[in-house]
Amino acid sequence: MADMDNKLTNKMTWVQVLIAIAFCFLTAFLFMHNDALYSQPIFEVTKVESGKTSKMTDEFQNVDHYHEQTLYGKIVNGKYAGHRLTIDNAYSDSHAMDHHYIKGQKLFITLHTSPKLHATVKDLKRDAPIAFLFALAISLLFIILKWKGVTVISSIVINTILFWIAIIIDHNNDGAAVILIFSILAVIFCFVTLFLVMGWSRKMLVTLSAVLAATAITILITLMVFGITHEKGVYYESMQYVTQLPKPLFIAEVLIGVLGAVMDEATDIVASLATLKTEKPELSKMQLFNSGRQIGKSIMGPLINVLFFIFMAETLPMTLLYLKNGNTWQYSFSMNMSLGMTSSLISGIGIVLTVILSSLFAGLWIKGDER
Amino acid sequence: MGSITCLGIVLLVLMMIVGGKQGITSFLSMVVNFGILFFSIVLIAFHTPPIIVTIVASVILLSITIFWSSASDNASTTAFQASCVILILLIAIIIPIEYWAQVGGFGLEDSEELEGLSTYIGIDFTKIAIATAILSSLGAIAEAAIAIASGLDEILTQHDKIRSGELFADGVFIGKQIIGTAVNTLFFGFFGSSLALFIWFYGLNYSLGEILNDKVFAAELIAIVVSLIGVVLTIPITTWMMSFRLKKVQDKTMNK
Repeated sequence: MADMDNKLTNKMTWVQVLIAIAFCFLTAFLFMHNDALYSQPIFEVTKVESGKTSKMTDEFQNVDHYHEQTLYGKIVNGKYAGHRLTIDNAYSDSHAMDHHYIKGQKLFITLHTSPKLHATVKDLKRDAPIAFLFALAISLLFIILKWKGVTVISSIVINTILFWIAIIIDHNNDGAAVILIFSILAVIFCFVTLFLVMGWSRKMLVTLSAVLAATAITILITLMVFGITHEKGVYYESMQYVTQLPKPLFIAEVLIGVLGAVMDEATDIVASLATLKTEKPELSKMQLFNSGRQIGKSIMGPLINVLFFIFMAETLPMTLLYLKNGNTWQYSFSMNMSLGMTSSLISGIGIVLTVILSSLFAGLWIKGDER
Repeated sequence: MGSITCLGIVLLVLMMIVGGKQGITSFLSMVVNFGILFFSIVLIAFHTPPIIVTIVASVILLSITIFWSSASDNASTTAFQASCVILILLIAIIIPIEYWAQVGGFGLEDSEELEGLSTYIGIDFTKIAIATAILSSLGAIAEAAIAIASGLDEILTQHDKIRSGELFADGVFIGKQIIGTAVNTLFFGFFGSSLALFIWFYGLNYSLGEILNDKVFAAELIAIVVSLIGVVLTIPITTWMMSFRLKKVQDKTMNK
């Protein structure tokens, strides 16, 4: 019987894998041919001619090569669809701000009509690979988790919508009260996510209160530390893409960033303690608290590292550029990685506080699994 | 005293209160991971091939994160093997996607910061983007692998005669429990670290099409979706690894 089940699931998996592969490529294909949806003119490269290559050396003795190329092709959408064009392009070996285009690629271009129709390249059209990757992730979620995948995806979609609404509100307030807006958002995020994961129950309320309390205390500790140290070594000027007051924005970033990890951990601890309490109702509050601490102790390290890698890895390109521009290690670190490090440490504090608070709250309020 | 030092001390003290010796080890793993990460950047700056540096660094980073956690020997060995397999699979996904999407380097949004810097440094930024995507997924893979391997190890110690088919069902069951919250960790991390970028997009009235094709956004999105794929793959792969080990052990005892 078990063997038959096994065979059945195996067979289904193979069919599913084939469907998934077809789905990914179909998605990519559709996005490769969605030019009509764009109002910006899109240019398809049909032939590339390489031009001359010249060597160049900057003031820090970095050697690079500059290549010229001529792109032949046609416009595929809009008013000028079907027009053939020739565009000159140049790129370097490092591809920092330029691209090496090849036959078959589609590019966004800027059209100039005077004296005659000509164009310059703006950027590569890159929605197809993004869509492909999304399709791959979604199909894997379905194949491995079946219907649980739907909950995961819907939770991501709901949170993305909430997040976008918060950004609209923030923008309409001209960036005032960022922390307040994102704190309220954090509460709503937690409520929605925990409701989706655990349903409406006492466990969920215990988790929710642990998450909110831990996050609030973390932010307070951060502000206190910043107060005591006069924010020495925190270089807000190195924040990227800042369009409003950097300090509150930074706090809001960390607040949202740590929330997922804190919820992850609190859910784990509270759920385990609830099961424990059901199995052994005689456990005292203190014993429950200590078991919670044992569980938390083993998950906090890996969890801190999750955020550490997310926050730190994205600073890599700019740090490298600083190092290659003759800056010292210390200066390159300060201007690029120090904010990532600060966020990682604050997140770490949040994660550890969650262990304490969720064990404490579970010890005080949990009554075992209500079934 | 700088803010970073002060926050570090607060974190260390809290970790010692909660975890004692294990707390210190967890703190150290973060410090050592930082050292390795920074050292890798320096090596890349000296023109060591970026992808090779990243792969070697990734294996070391994974082993530190996994073996310095408090998981049992059996669980951490399985978790490490599984995460190395996932690392290989992810690299196989990341490299073609990064060349296809060409998100290496900097976008127009970075112009202000690039002022006064020479971007012609002779190192291919597409490879740096590959390195960034691999590195940012490491923590998530390690965490998921540890969680599933520890759960399965717990089941093994309680029922040592379990069949590998049953173990696989258990693995998927544990996976279903952790995946929802693991995905949240990733996505909130992503929302948090890209908050400023999203505000920028909204403030400057980017259309959906412009956002989807934006280099900076695409780079971040690829990194996070790749991590998500890594976490999902962890479920079957860690379970396979565990049942493989189980089979080997069971065969050995049967032959005796």
